[in-house]
Amino acid sequence: MQNNIAKFRKDKGLSQQELADAIAVSRKTISTVETGRFIPSVIIALKIAAHFELSVEQLFTLDDND
Amino acid sequence: MSKQDIKTEEKFMSHNAWFSIFMGVTLLIISVYPMLKQTSVPLLFIGGAAFIGSFFMFVIRGGFTWKLGYRLTYKDEFLNTVDTIAYKHVVLGLLFSMGAIFLLADELALNVSHSMMATFYLALMCLIYGVSIIWQSRD
Repeated sequence: MQNNIAKFRKDKGLSQQELADAIAVSRKTISTVETGRFIPSVIIALKIAAHFELSVEQLFTLDDND
Repeated sequence: MSKQDIKTEEKFMSHNAWFSIFMGVTLLIISVYPMLKQTSVPLLFIGGAAFIGSFFMFVIRGGFTWKLGYRLTYKDEFLNTVDTIAYKHVVLGLLFSMGAIFLLADELALNVSHSMMATFYLALMCLIYGVSIIWQSRD
């Protein structure tokens, strides 16, 4: 699964820590989700999407291996 | 869950990982060196003192015990996942090391006491846990 979180985060001028604080998760959660090493739960995905006022599909996309 | 709780958990996990590595190395020295040198008492004393010293250093520096409230699991999803995977690594590492020791048992049995082997296994478990946490938490 791929995601565009880093792109949207940088567009909004947010640091990983600021985004993590905004949705009440650890900074490492954001870091590892962005690099694709950690697949977040639906709850976290929805929180991130809500924070950026986007749909989950705009943030996360399935790739051929999924 | 408040921001402070999450930051405390992150700090706790980091301290916990490094403490596990320190403890693992100390226990490894305590267990392996006497096997090689056929002695145990002096190093056991020094190792024990180093272990207690490092334990209190981390407890005092971390100051985590009252903040975390002795919860058994991390509330943050990522930290909880990393912690669970680290325990799986520990179990796998323990199984492989026990298998290796089983194969080498005849060569080791005459020189190594049960307490040394128990310390050796504990050292491996601590090392694997600490390294696993740090490796999984890399940016």
